[in-house]
Amino acid sequence: MINKNPYLYYSRKILIFILSVFLLSIAVFYVARLAPGDALFSYYGSRVEKMSPKERERAEKKLGLDAPIHIQYIRWLENAAHGNFGISFKYKTDVLEVIKERLPNTLLLGGIGFLFIFILSPMLGILCILHNGKWLDKLICKVGTIISCIPEFWMSLVLILIFAINLKWFPSSGAYFIGREGDIWGRILHLILPMTVVIASHLWYYAYMVRNRLLREIGTGYVLLEKSVGFSKRSIIFKHCLRNVLPSYLSIMAISLPHIMGGTYIVETVFSYPGIGTLSYESARYKDYNLLMVLCIMSGTVVILCNIIAQIIDERIDPRIRESETARIMEVSDV
Amino acid sequence: MQAILEIKNLSVSFNTAQGELQAVRDVSFSLNKGEVFAIVGESGCGKSVLCKTIMKLLPDNGFIKGGSILVNGTDITNYCQKDMECLRRKVFSMVLQDPMTSLDPSVCIGKQIAEAVKICNPKMKHNAIYNRVIELMTLVGITNPEYRYKLYPHNFSGGMLQRTVIAMALASEPKILFADEPTTSLDVTIQSQILNLLKDIQKKFQTAIVFVSHDLGVIARVADRIAVMYAGKIVEIGTSEDIFYNSRHPYTWGLMRSLPYFAKNGEELYTIPGMPPVLINPPIGDAFACRNKYALNIDYEEMPPMFKVSDTHYAATWLLDKRAPKICPDIFPPFVLHSCTVPDTRQDEKNSCNISTDTLLDVQHLSQYFKLGKNNVVKAADDLSFQIRRGEIFGLVGESGSGKSTVARCIMNIYKPFLGQILYKGINICDRKQFFKNRKMLQSSRQMIFQDSASSLDKHMTVADIIAEPMKICNIKPKRGSFRNEAEFQLYYVGMDKSYLDKYPDELSGGMRQRVAIARALSMEPELLVADEPVASLDVSLQSQIINLFKHLQSEHGFSFLFIAHDLSVVRYLCDRVGVMYKGKLVEVAPVNELFENPLHPYTKALLSSVPIPDPQREMEKTMLEWREND
Repeated sequence: MINKNPYLYYSRKILIFILSVFLLSIAVFYVARLAPGDALFSYYGSRVEKMSPKERERAEKKLGLDAPIHIQYIRWLENAAHGNFGISFKYKTDVLEVIKERLPNTLLLGGIGFLFIFILSPMLGILCILHNGKWLDKLICKVGTIISCIPEFWMSLVLILIFAINLKWFPSSGAYFIGREGDIWGRILHLILPMTVVIASHLWYYAYMVRNRLLREIGTGYVLLEKSVGFSKRSIIFKHCLRNVLPSYLSIMAISLPHIMGGTYIVETVFSYPGIGTLSYESARYKDYNLLMVLCIMSGTVVILCNIIAQIIDERIDPRIRESETARIMEVSDV
Repeated sequence: MQAILEIKNLSVSFNTAQGELQAVRDVSFSLNKGEVFAIVGESGCGKSVLCKTIMKLLPDNGFIKGGSILVNGTDITNYCQKDMECLRRKVFSMVLQDPMTSLDPSVCIGKQIAEAVKICNPKMKHNAIYNRVIELMTLVGITNPEYRYKLYPHNFSGGMLQRTVIAMALASEPKILFADEPTTSLDVTIQSQILNLLKDIQKKFQTAIVFVSHDLGVIARVADRIAVMYAGKIVEIGTSEDIFYNSRHPYTWGLMRSLPYFAKNGEELYTIPGMPPVLINPPIGDAFACRNKYALNIDYEEMPPMFKVSDTHYAATWLLDKRAPKICPDIFPPFVLHSCTVPDTRQDEKNSCNISTDTLLDVQHLSQYFKLGKNNVVKAADDLSFQIRRGEIFGLVGESGSGKSTVARCIMNIYKPFLGQILYKGINICDRKQFFKNRKMLQSSRQMIFQDSASSLDKHMTVADIIAEPMKICNIKPKRGSFRNEAEFQLYYVGMDKSYLDKYPDELSGGMRQRVAIARALSMEPELLVADEPVASLDVSLQSQIINLFKHLQSEHGFSFLFIAHDLSVVRYLCDRVGVMYKGKLVEVAPVNELFENPLHPYTKALLSSVPIPDPQREMEKTMLEWREND
C-alpha cells in the first residue's frame, strides 16, 4: 500500500491523526466540566466562599465560564487555533509557560527510562532463551514476576525509606537541590530513585514478552530445518527468530511509550518530582480547565502518534503485510 | 555395498509428566549408499523421532537411552551439538512435512538458500554463491530462478516451497537425506512431482534417502527397502518386493488390507481392531498381540526376536518360529490383481434399490468470489452446477484451493454465494425470505462434519452434551426420554459405549473424536450430510473404520451424502457419483466407475494417473500424465 501511493497513504494517516485529536479534545472538554467541583476555587482560593452571587457571576464571566459548554468549546477552539490556550487558573500565567517549565523534567525521566527498557528487555529475553530451562532463565523469570507484582507507589516508598532516609544516599524528593538548578550532578542524583522505579516496574513485562515470542518462534518448522542444515541455535536466533519477533516488539514498544510515560506520573507524585505528572494531578484536582485540556491533548497526541507509528513499522518490516494488498500466489503448475 | 549409516539397538525415551515414554525401542537397521529406505507406520509409532534422533534434533526432554549410531563407521552417539552441526553441514540434510512453516517468512527464498550454501562452503565468494543458488533452484525445478530469487515464502505455493526446502537440503551435497513425510501436506499431482524429484536426486547424486511416510502408495513409488514400525519397534524390514508381495508380520497385513485401494467389491473395508498401545508402560510381549487375531500365547509373554525370512527380509513375529502353526493370511498373495481389473458390480445393484431419481439438492450456476484487494479476485467457485439425489453419496474431489470447501460452505449457508442459487428440496436457500420461512427444517436436516475433529468439538463440553446440543438448539424433544438417553443411543450407533458419555474430547483419540462428531451430526436425523475431508487427518486403519461407519450408517439412514476428499481411493470406494473440481470449476461429473475407468477431461486423467498405487510393480509401469490449463 505504501508502495502504491505514498502521498495518499501518509495523508490518510495524518487525516486520521487530526480527527482523533479533535474528538479527544471534545471529550476531555465535556467530561472535565461535567465533573463535580468549583472551578473558581483554583483561581480565587478560599475567597470564593465569601463571594456574593453577583460577584460570582462577574468572576465566572471574567474566566469565560458563564456560557453553555458548547459555546465555551467553540470559543476555546478559536483561541487554540491562534495558539492561545488560555491561562492557568492556579498559576495565573500562560498555560504553555507553566508546561514549558515542567516538561523537560518528565521527558528526562520517562525518556531515559523508556530507552533503558527498550534496550534491556530484548537483551534479557535473549539471555533467557539462550539459557532456556536452565537456572538463569528460571531466576530471571521468577525475579521479574515478583518485582512486576509490586505496585509502583509502594516500591517508591520502600526505596525512599531504604536509600533516602536510612542510607541517605539519594535525596527523597524534588528534581534538584534548592537554589542549584544548573547542577547536573544534583539532577542525576535526584533522577536515580524515580528512574529505578520506572524501569523496574515495566522492564520485566517486556522482557517476558520477548522471551515468549522467541520461544514460540523457536518451535516453528523453519528453525528445525535451519538446524538440520547445520546452523547453530545462537545464529538462528539472531539471524531469523529475532527478525520475526522484531516487528511485533517494535509496535508493542511504540504503543507502550505513552504507557511508560504514564507510569512516570505516579512516580512523580510520590517523589514530588516537578514534572508533567504532578501538574496533571493538580490541574485535575483543582479544575484548572485550561491546563488540563492542554495536558490531556498532549498525552493523547503521544498515544495516537505512537499507535500510528507502530502501525507503519508493522507494515514496513513484515513483507506479508507490506504486500498483502497485492499478494498473489504463484501458479502451482508452471513447473 | 557399503553401509553409510548403521543404527544398532537404538532406544529413545522422553521424560513426560506421566513417566518415561519409550518412543523408539531397540531399533537396528543399516542404510546403504544411494538407496531409498522407507519407514512406514501409523502416527505415534516413532518414525519421526527416529529421524530426529539420528540428526540429534530431539526436543530437550528426549534422550538416547541405549544403542549406537554409526556414520561411515564412526560412532556419533555421544557427539556434542558442535560436532553435530559440522556433521549436519556435510552428511545429513532434512526435508520436513509442512513446507508452509519450514521457511522463514521474512527472508526471501534466494537468501535462505544462499545462507545454507554459505554455511556449508564458508570460503565461497559472493558471486559464486549466487550462481550456486541459481543452479540449485534450477536443479529442483524452480523455473525462472533469477526472478524467484527475490520472492518471499508467502508468494510460493506448497509444492514450490517444498522444492525450495529440498534445494536448501541439497546445498550441502548431503550423503543422507531424511525426508519426514515430505508430501503429506501436498496435493496428489504435486506429490507425484516431488516424489519424482527426490528419485532423480537419488539417482543423480547417489544420495541415500530415509523416507518416512504413513502412505503405502507413496512408499511403493520410491522405496528400495522398507521398514515397518509399530509401537517404537521395527516389526518387519525388507526390500520393497518383500514387504509388498511377501510380508510376514500380521501388522503389515493389517496395514495393507485396510487400504481402500484393495477393497473387494462391495465388501467392508478391513480394520485392525483395537488401538496402538501407550508407550509409557509398553506391554511385555509383542505390542501388537492384543490386536492380532493370529496371536499365540507366547506373544503375550515374550518379545519376538527378528526372524530371518530371506537374506534381505526379517520380521519380528512368533509366527515365523519353527514351532508356530502355519498360517495362511486370507488376503495374500497376489491380492493386488483383482482390485482393478474386475468390473465393479456394486454400483449397478445399488443404483436400482437405494437411490431414487428424486433430487434433494440442486446447485445451479453457483459462483463465489473472494476479494483479496482491488485487482485480485479469487474465483473459489465458478459457475458450478450439479445435483445430489436422495440417498446418494456424491464425492467432490480436487486439489487444495480448488474450491471444494467453499462449495460445502455455500450449501450449508455459511457463505452467501455471489451468483447462482442452491435449491434444497425446491427451496432456494440463498434467498433470505425463503430461508427464514423454512429455517428450522433447513437447519436440522442439513448437518456437517469437519476435517479436524479436535477443533470442531468444544473442549469444555462432555461427549453427552456435545451430542445433545443440536437438539437443544432446535428445541427438539428427545425421543428416548432424556437428552442423555438420546446421546447414549447415538453413541452406541457409531460404535461407542456409554462409558464415553462423561468424557471430554481431549481424553479421546482422533478416531473416537471423529465418531463423536458423526454422532452429533446424526442426532438430528439429517437428510443431507456434508463431510469436508472427514478422514484426511486419520491413520490408515482408523480411516477404514470411519469409512466403514459412513457406509454402514448411510445404508441404514438413507441420507444423502456430500463427501469431500482429496484421496481418490476413498472416493472410489465410498461414492456413487463423483465431481472433479479444478480451480473453482467443475470439470467432470460422472458415476464413480465411469470416471475411474474412462475419464474424459484431461485434468481428471492427470489426477488419476498421479495417485500413488500401493504396489511397486504397477507404480513402475504406469505412465504419468500432466495437464495444465491454458490461461
